[in-house]
Amino acid sequence: MNKGIKRIVSTAITAAMILGVAGCGQSGGAPKEFSPKYSEDTQYKLSVVGTYSNFESLEREFERFYAHYPNGEIQYTSLDDYSNTIVQALAGQEPPDIYVVQPWMYGNEKFESLFEAAEVLSDPSLKIDLDCLRPGVKREMEDGSMLTLPVFATSYGMLVNMDIFEKEGLKVPQNFSELKETCEKLRAAGYESPLMGSNTNTTPGIGYAFAYPMFANVVKNDRSIEADLNNLVPSAGEALREPLTRLKELVDSGCIDIDKCKAEIEDDYNAVIMRFFEGDVPMMLCSGDVVSGTKKRESKSEAFSDNPFKYDFYVAPSGDDGGYYMDSVSITFSVNKNSANLDMTNEFIRFLTSEEELGLMAEMKRLITPTKDYSLDEVYASLSGFPEKRTISASDTEILDTAVKEFRAAAYAVINGELTVDEAVAGYGTLSN
Amino acid sequence: MKKRFIIIINILIVGLILFIIVKYANDRATESNHASIASFEKMTITTEQIIANYLEDEQHLCDIWSNYINRSAEAGTPMTVDEAISYIRKAKISPEIQGHLIYIDDGSMKGISTSASTTDPSNFSVNYSHISIFDNFEIDNVADGVVNLTRAYTNPLNGVQSIAFLKKVKVLDRETGVLREGLLFRVVPVSRLEQKLIFLKGEYEKVEISLIDWDGDYMIHGKSLKNSNFFEYFKSYNPMTTQEYNKVVETIRTGIGSMHIRNSKNEDCVIAYTPLTGLDSWFLVAYIPANELTVSRSIDWLLLGIVSAGLMVLLHFNLFILMGFNRKLAVAAEAANQANEAKSYFLSTMSHDIRTPMNAIIGMNEMVLRDSHEEAILTYSESIRAAGNTLLGIINDILDFSKIEAGKMEIIDVDYNFVSLLNDLVNMVQRKADEKGLNFSLEVDKSIPRILHGDEIRIKQVITNILSNAVKYTKEGSVVFSVSGRKCEDKPDTVILHVSVKDTGIGIKKEELDRLFVAFERIEEKRNRNIEGTGLGMAIAQSFLNMMGSKIQVESEYGKGSEFSFDLEQKVVKWEPLGEFDKAFKRFVSERKLYRVQFTAPKARILVVDDMEVNLKVFVNLLSRTKMQIDTADSGDACIALFKRNLYDVIFLDHMMPDKDGIETIREMKACKDTPNSKTPVVCLTANAVSGMREMYINAGFDDYLTKPIDTGRLESMLLMYLPSDLVESPEDSGEEEKSEPAAVKNILAVDDDIDFLRKLREWLSGSYNLVVVKSVEQACEYLEKHETDLILMDDHMPEQNDFDKGKLLRGSFKGMNRDEITSQIKEFIERSES
Repeated sequence: MNKGIKRIVSTAITAAMILGVAGCGQSGGAPKEFSPKYSEDTQYKLSVVGTYSNFESLEREFERFYAHYPNGEIQYTSLDDYSNTIVQALAGQEPPDIYVVQPWMYGNEKFESLFEAAEVLSDPSLKIDLDCLRPGVKREMEDGSMLTLPVFATSYGMLVNMDIFEKEGLKVPQNFSELKETCEKLRAAGYESPLMGSNTNTTPGIGYAFAYPMFANVVKNDRSIEADLNNLVPSAGEALREPLTRLKELVDSGCIDIDKCKAEIEDDYNAVIMRFFEGDVPMMLCSGDVVSGTKKRESKSEAFSDNPFKYDFYVAPSGDDGGYYMDSVSITFSVNKNSANLDMTNEFIRFLTSEEELGLMAEMKRLITPTKDYSLDEVYASLSGFPEKRTISASDTEILDTAVKEFRAAAYAVINGELTVDEAVAGYGTLSN
Repeated sequence: MKKRFIIIINILIVGLILFIIVKYANDRATESNHASIASFEKMTITTEQIIANYLEDEQHLCDIWSNYINRSAEAGTPMTVDEAISYIRKAKISPEIQGHLIYIDDGSMKGISTSASTTDPSNFSVNYSHISIFDNFEIDNVADGVVNLTRAYTNPLNGVQSIAFLKKVKVLDRETGVLREGLLFRVVPVSRLEQKLIFLKGEYEKVEISLIDWDGDYMIHGKSLKNSNFFEYFKSYNPMTTQEYNKVVETIRTGIGSMHIRNSKNEDCVIAYTPLTGLDSWFLVAYIPANELTVSRSIDWLLLGIVSAGLMVLLHFNLFILMGFNRKLAVAAEAANQANEAKSYFLSTMSHDIRTPMNAIIGMNEMVLRDSHEEAILTYSESIRAAGNTLLGIINDILDFSKIEAGKMEIIDVDYNFVSLLNDLVNMVQRKADEKGLNFSLEVDKSIPRILHGDEIRIKQVITNILSNAVKYTKEGSVVFSVSGRKCEDKPDTVILHVSVKDTGIGIKKEELDRLFVAFERIEEKRNRNIEGTGLGMAIAQSFLNMMGSKIQVESEYGKGSEFSFDLEQKVVKWEPLGEFDKAFKRFVSERKLYRVQFTAPKARILVVDDMEVNLKVFVNLLSRTKMQIDTADSGDACIALFKRNLYDVIFLDHMMPDKDGIETIREMKACKDTPNSKTPVVCLTANAVSGMREMYINAGFDDYLTKPIDTGRLESMLLMYLPSDLVESPEDSGEEEKSEPAAVKNILAVDDDIDFLRKLREWLSGSYNLVVVKSVEQACEYLEKHETDLILMDDHMPEQNDFDKGKLLRGSFKGMNRDEITSQIKEFIERSES
């Protein structure tokens, strides 16, 4: 080999090494290319079980993984009655290699076996690049180990019809006063209820989507009340006053017509999307899970097909200085450490844990990516660079499901005039019953 | 053909061959693909049968469990749930398979299992209330004799994806002592079925077999089929309208077959589908990438390249060889051209050299016939005329045949009067028949339309040839000439003439019939050597008829006679029937006269140029009774001198002359400006009658063309055409030929809007009648107010006029008649009115 060729080869190897050490977390750097650990001829058969009846975004990742390991098969199965069958499945004759763990399963005794069976993904020997994940969505165990890989994140806020704002010459409001001002202008322009949403006491409902992030921010700023809230101590209800008051103010200001919402939006998912696609709603309160359903329904809405418009997801501007971004985990994956194909299972998770693959999955599912790069789906572009101080991540609070249910009930009662803010605050602990 | 055309054609042929190769390869691939797909469908059906059998077997095992439990109930000793499960636990062999028995009569969907929960070995209870397997499956539909199969679901006890075969059972509630209705599940892991499918793939390595239910939800599916529902998967990657999608779903649900689909990578794939026998709403879908199943249709470019190169080499080789051949052919063609030119020259010369003395012979003989009153001399002279005409006929036959061979003979269709055509034919043949003492009979269908459209000259020539032969080869007896017509059914504006000539002549042997139409062949040469002829007549006649879409039929009995016939399709211009031709013809024959001059023109002056003095003499003598002033010139130069000096009404100029021939002379005449004859018509008078001569003379500058020997009638007709009408007088003006005309001149008023026709009438009738012509009925009425007339002659196309005296009005299709026919009709009318 002559010197010229040697120089070229050595330069190429050096360049590859430099690129190789660059992690996916390096902003602005080139994405790290996946390099298979095992032979391309490796034969394997993996199973993934979860709650989604369809998981096309994951199945696309299978295909992408096959490009590196073509002699295998990964099958996704939706388990019936997941919360009651996953534990049995893990202990059964055909245990899955990868299984879905939902955030609410943390701390629940019933699902302890899920965490006991989980591989430690933060084990350095696995070389899973967990750095590409946003710190807020990582969930570590008490010993600092990480047993679950966040696959999708979600949040609460509103879908904004950008064409209406452009037509009316308005900017998307960034704080509550701007919101009231904008709504006034929109009402003057003929939009009866500038904000709409599902009038339910569920998470995508009006009260939760608008005011819960504010409530979480209150708890984040004063973690001392968290235990009482989780224990449904009535006095802890005071923490609900600020968000409930703002919610009442929203209704009273005429930004949202609750009766209209109740009449025109029958459920908290499909109806929310289809009503938004009618094209005459400037802002629609909802959760990230609702946003994930928009892509498939674009073609199902005749109104949207006839008059398509641009829409984006924004945090609801509930605070005086701006809205609060709930950076929540939607679902996570765990690896069954007793898997018969543990090496290839970990290899698949290593493949999946990158900005590109998780970003592609989120983009296809239209949920929020758990990585630091929001750029793949422009619907969520507004979340990129959101101020840290108004971001509430999973690790910032530990509000249990019981407290969340109380808040949802209080918010629903206040916006529907069933309770005043004072009554709701005073009734904390008994509201969800 | 030019070289580049040959190259283009060769390239096209090469392209065509390559195209055929590619198409053939594609067709074979398509054929092979169809066979592959059919084979794939067959494999699918076989797999379906195996799966169906397996499912039936599983159901049968479930039925055995249930039957045992139910028989106990029927026997009055019903089993409790625990006893039933205990029995199943003993009965089942495979540890993977579980038996679940749940109560359905209270809707609790709870019961017990043969196996314990994987998380609690002491817990055998099972609960189906949270598993929606009965959303699309009615428990009431669980029946005997069929496979009662659930969708794939998660076994609540071990979390394994399973299917279950169901059967209703009667069990005893131990607590209440009541007989209750339960549902027995034979729970089989889906993986067990999947393992069986591995062995069903047969020859197809990449086939993926899926089982789907009515809604498209998978029981099992291969790794390529995404989504939890096949139809959703199909819709995601195969964009189409809702109608098209519904059609696809319906197709899969209702039949057996295959179709191409796109997979998630947009690759072409084939699915074969078939319903599972014995199961309601379950279908087998076999999936395979299309490239695994079908033969690649890619073209073998190397093979194509080799073939192309080979063909190009062949093309160049052929071109090289062809060029060599072409050089030889060019030499041969040159020689052939020279030979052809020599032949043409020979024909031209022969025609000219024979016709020139013939002109003198026939012309002078005509003078004798006109001027002699001695019977014997007239007889001799008549013989000369007959012989001359025969010789002329032979020359004409040779020229016609030369034209046919050269492909220059054309059929020129014109409107013609069929009566006139018959007149000419009968007139010709009657004379010859009379001379031989033959009885000539004429049978003409009176319904034949009078005015037809066709090539009158060639038809006349054909019939003349046949009739002449009939007369020539018949020593005694008769010749029967019959013509009939029938309408053509397909073409309403045409008539099919059937022409037949039957004789009692020598007949033709059967073996000789084939030679009848061969040129220059004469049948029984020795026997007929005294009969004149070239052997061309029938060949020419057959050629003409072929050109007109017909052919001569011959029936002959040797020694007894022959019949020649043909059918000829002619367009009909006027459907007016020709009527009783025999009578008309007999009258015509009886009135046949000797030569009579058509006109006189004492004031007209014409010039005739010919290098042969005798020809000049003939020309002048033939026209002597026209009383024209005729100057003669014996050379081109003499002609030009006269041309410059005197004004002529018509000039006849010979072609073949020494020193300066006719063409050189006319060029000089056309170039000459110092002449009073710049507008004088110049007619080429030539003995050169070979094909293409007319065009040649017209192109050279002549106005018309007249062949020698001169036909007096044609010459006079031509003069009538070119002479100024004011110079033309009727023959009676000269007072010489009055003797033969009726004593009292009748007044005739001719009414027609066609001036040419009126002019013609004037030419034809002015000599015999006091003819007045008017262009309209109005003018006729004005004339009749002040004058008397014996006859009003009006063509049929003129409108009816009631003001005219019907007794004097003669109507008919005069425009289609010749002079003799019109004269005949007028005479007949006058005779009738006088009687």
